[in-house]
Amino acid sequence: MRPIQSHLLSRRHLLQLSGLSSMGLLLGGCGLNAFEGIVGKTFEPLNQSVEALLLNPQKPVPEFPASAIEPEALLINTFGSTPQLDPEKFRLTVDGEVNNPLQLSMADIKKMPLTSMIIRHVCVEGWAAIVQWNGVQLRDLVALVQPKANVRYVYFKSADGYSESWDLASALHPQTLMAYQKNSQPLSADNGAPIRLASPIKLGYKQSKWVTRITLVSNLLTSRGYWEDRGYEWFAGL
Amino acid sequence: MTSNPAKNSQARRPIVSQAILAKIFHWLNIISLLLMITSGLQIYNANPVFGGRGGWQFPPLFLLGGWLAGGRHWHFAAMWLFGINLLWYGLYIFITRRWQKRFVSSKDLKALQKGQNPKRKAYAWHRLIYTVIIPVLLLAILSGFGMYKPAQFHWIVDMFGDWQALRVVHFITVPIVILFAIAHSLLALKVGGSRLIESMLW
Repeated sequence: MRPIQSHLLSRRHLLQLSGLSSMGLLLGGCGLNAFEGIVGKTFEPLNQSVEALLLNPQKPVPEFPASAIEPEALLINTFGSTPQLDPEKFRLTVDGEVNNPLQLSMADIKKMPLTSMIIRHVCVEGWAAIVQWNGVQLRDLVALVQPKANVRYVYFKSADGYSESWDLASALHPQTLMAYQKNSQPLSADNGAPIRLASPIKLGYKQSKWVTRITLVSNLLTSRGYWEDRGYEWFAGL
Repeated sequence: MTSNPAKNSQARRPIVSQAILAKIFHWLNIISLLLMITSGLQIYNANPVFGGRGGWQFPPLFLLGGWLAGGRHWHFAAMWLFGINLLWYGLYIFITRRWQKRFVSSKDLKALQKGQNPKRKAYAWHRLIYTVIIPVLLLAILSGFGMYKPAQFHWIVDMFGDWQALRVVHFITVPIVILFAIAHSLLALKVGGSRLIESMLW
């Protein structure tokens, strides 16, 4: 009888252990969810300093051959409507703490040097797509408006009401583009026509579509961006 | 340890005790893995690795964070606990040479191949299983790091082939860890009874 009894005992212990672990799961499923905001706020500064440390502001991210482009993989995400902007009437405002604020037409922008890159676009949801973006380097636009020495952040306003803010180093990265072509075709309205942000060094939600205004500032405002204000991390570096 | 079911076996049982650092490691590892897995499944649900949008999602019971951003907050907080715990434990087992004494050895492998003693074989299996989980945990960190910073660590993504392969590998570590936890508990029970399990936890 003994061995059977000790077997039963073991089983009871096993049940105790499994009870312990499912209690953990239940705690996770209900109680701990309430703390996600606190957990995020507590660890975001640490994670952000690691991300800023990892970012090499001058070094381009390796690109892919044209054969690697995945034309169907880029999913469409919007928070609201899809603006239909007239490219003829469209003006991109670049202003803020600068000496030479500008309003540029698409024709003005297309006269500037064209940069093409084939990069991996990574969405916060977990999917990724290899995409070719063609456009102007944001650093060229920034140089045109002659920012003041204290500028540290860049705000992007979109025609649909979306907004974003970036650290200056990431904005000046050589592969941070104001893109007006995707896979060598003019941008579609769904992808942000006539012009959008594109970069391999930030998550997709940082890459605003339908950008109408770029504002250079020395401090972050109360609003740090549409998704950031709702709890997503601000730096979102890759 | 005792094979004869003697009436007074309680008195003759050797005292099983574990190093306090091994206990601390076990507890922190259990807690951090529970947080990593539940928050990881929350992130998974935003775009299932298998099936993408519209793919099967894990039920809320197994999730942590409440929504994608909450899952990410927990995941990228608990990663520090999980990673640092594994790091100091790694240093500890190398410095104390526990790595040579307490983990699988060529003797265990020989026992598994040629051994006749079922107790010796169970012991060898036990050591083998808890040794091979360590590279799996390191793989979870490597693949996770590749997904967290794919631009700065593009070579990690390249190592796994492509993005989907990286996601699959990172996800597969979850069922492996769960199966490991079950096998590890059962083998510990077989090798040392409930006393062995309790000695590692309390």
